[in-house]
Amino acid sequence: MKLKRILALVEKETLEMWRDPLFLCLALLVPSLFMFLFGYGLTLDVEHLPFWAIDYDQSPTSRDFLANFSYSRYFSLKSRETDERKALEALVKGKIRLILLVPPDFERELAAGRSAPVQALIDGTFPYRAQIVKNYVQAIVGKLNRQKLKDFFRHKGLSEARVEALSEPIRLEVRYIYNEEARSRWSVASALIGVILLMVPPMLTSLAICREKESGAIYNIYVSTISRAEFLLGKALPYFGITALNVLILFLWATLVFGAPFRGSFSCYLFSALLYSFCSLGIGLWISAFVRTQIAALLLSLIVAMIPAFLYSGLLVPVVCLDVSGQVEAHLFPAMYFVSLLHGTFLKGLGWRAQAGNLLALLIYTGLIYLLAYLSFHKRTKR
Amino acid sequence: MKSLRRLWVLTVKEILQLWRDRVLLLASLYLFTVDIFLAGSGIKLTLHQVPFSVFDLDRSAASRELIARFQKPYFRFQGYLRSPEEAFRGFDQGRFLALFDFPDGFEEDLKTERQTRLQLLVDTSNAIMGNLIAGYSALIVSRYAQDITLHRLGYTKEMLRRFPLVDLKWRVFFNPNQEEAWFNALSELLTVITMLTMLLPAAALVREKERGTIEQLLVSPVSPLEVLLSKISAMTLVILTGTLLAVGLVLEGCFRVPIRGSFFAFLLITVFYVFTSCGYGLFIGTLSRNLAQVGLLTIIAIAPIVFLSGTWTPPEAMPTWLRSLMVFSPLYHYLQMSFGLFLKGTGWDFLAPRAGRMLGLGVLVLFASTLFFRKRFAQQG
Repeated sequence: MKLKRILALVEKETLEMWRDPLFLCLALLVPSLFMFLFGYGLTLDVEHLPFWAIDYDQSPTSRDFLANFSYSRYFSLKSRETDERKALEALVKGKIRLILLVPPDFERELAAGRSAPVQALIDGTFPYRAQIVKNYVQAIVGKLNRQKLKDFFRHKGLSEARVEALSEPIRLEVRYIYNEEARSRWSVASALIGVILLMVPPMLTSLAICREKESGAIYNIYVSTISRAEFLLGKALPYFGITALNVLILFLWATLVFGAPFRGSFSCYLFSALLYSFCSLGIGLWISAFVRTQIAALLLSLIVAMIPAFLYSGLLVPVVCLDVSGQVEAHLFPAMYFVSLLHGTFLKGLGWRAQAGNLLALLIYTGLIYLLAYLSFHKRTKR
Repeated sequence: MKSLRRLWVLTVKEILQLWRDRVLLLASLYLFTVDIFLAGSGIKLTLHQVPFSVFDLDRSAASRELIARFQKPYFRFQGYLRSPEEAFRGFDQGRFLALFDFPDGFEEDLKTERQTRLQLLVDTSNAIMGNLIAGYSALIVSRYAQDITLHRLGYTKEMLRRFPLVDLKWRVFFNPNQEEAWFNALSELLTVITMLTMLLPAAALVREKERGTIEQLLVSPVSPLEVLLSKISAMTLVILTGTLLAVGLVLEGCFRVPIRGSFFAFLLITVFYVFTSCGYGLFIGTLSRNLAQVGLLTIIAIAPIVFLSGTWTPPEAMPTWLRSLMVFSPLYHYLQMSFGLFLKGTGWDFLAPRAGRMLGLGVLVLFASTLFFRKRFAQQG
């Protein structure tokens, strides 16, 4: 290994990048663009769900009941026309997500001290959204029913303490920890750093090598004295500089724009993020050993990164909640270790020691990737 | 007539070029099969095997009964904690995501008709899951509480009708059992189509520029529109084959996604979409000089198109300014139509206006790219 040769390659690579301002600008801008799009786009806090209220009863009680929904910030009333066919059509067209149907005699049944049915028709196209709608409706109706039960017991002349105990025997106090208001923006923004740093860097390095393969400039490398390891390092380092810059920029976006709190050790964040970026660049180097064209390199980088980064990293679903095959897959990619490091340093306020396991995993992973890249890159072309 | 022949020859050339790039071919094959399968079977955005733990000062039958109601497949009991210190270590290490804290005298309170408290701590470092855990736990606890009240009053479950309560009845349309695979696999297929239709034509165009073969096209009698159209028609054939493969093997073979509308209509819509999406890709192709630029520009373009389509994020969850941009994402229209055709069985009265808007976008970008392309031709000539 000669430092001089590596530096020469770094210089050449940097110059090349510098002279393609569009590429340079894209490499610096794309991560930030992703951060904004996904950060704003991936919030799954559903609010203002459009719904249709069909009120066959048209009584004060039924109006009160429906007002609980139209005044909630989770729902917004689109229409209250009593036309089931029109409502169903709107549900099919995706204009509304929920139909609440109050049958006639709603008031009379309740006044007579009997239970009264209400129908909730939900659009189940996106199961997660359907689940959220269910949860909201249940929470509103549950609260209402508790109140009704209280009134009922009071009416019967029970003491206030018994009324409380009978209508709500167990008072559940929910406390959110790490993210006290359960804002999905906080957890998504911090985890996104890991997703983005797995998507962009491999493209940079794999493109850098395949560009030379396509133009034939790689033959200069094949015949030169530079060794394989020197070549790979020389290719990785300039892009490492760019990625390191992104590590800082993304940190700023996550904390300043998305408001995610940073409670842990910054040095731990910096070290792990840089290590992860280096690893991610290595994946690109490894990919470039298998492909000849830039477009294939690009596609392969996307494929390798997309699914594990989005599905198996803990961004959407914590890895412990995946089934066995999912968990195995998650452990095969570096995103999981880094996302848990990110949640650890940002939200949980952890430092080096508490995260040693994940750091070690990343370290081993990085070593392995570079070994593989080294072993699969050959200066003598196979024909 | 001559124009059609030229188009045909150019299309054949495009397909041959694709066929000979084995890595690209394998990558496409992977995307249309394994990738969609993974997306469909991989994750569930509903509660699934949530590990929870219990700190129980009461150790009574009542607390045990309540814990037993947190069952698989939604929850997974990880055992009792011995001390409160263990709680934070466990949360820090992510060993469990929820912790129930039963106070001393939990059962005693329930027996003597006093209101009792139960604390639930939820790890919200992943807020999506945290919200689901809190919502579902509240439901389980309130059901348990209801049973206790009924028991106290000496009522059975059937006698619940004797209270003046609102009795909620559900009906979930289009996907009654809330199979997540249906949604995930279908939206992944649409995303894959988007990715390939934007990337491949743009790349094919720029490759000609890089290698200088565009000079050959320049001196030949083909028009810019013909060059662009040939790339689109080749792409359409490739995507249709891939789509048939994905629908047959993965969507139907593995997940049994219902096709309630006309499958032919879906294929037709797909052809329209490929045309539109290729237009976006070719526009990128005319703008960029080398493949690296194509890649990055494509990614810049794909990200908003996918995210504004409502694949992952329901439109309701977006800020209003983002939602108003959704109409510019061709995938938004395609997604609505595809879900309509697969899950809802919608007809042409639903499809036609959306197809129109989508094609409108396609014609617009294609027009823009021919214009730019002509300019480039002029510059080079």
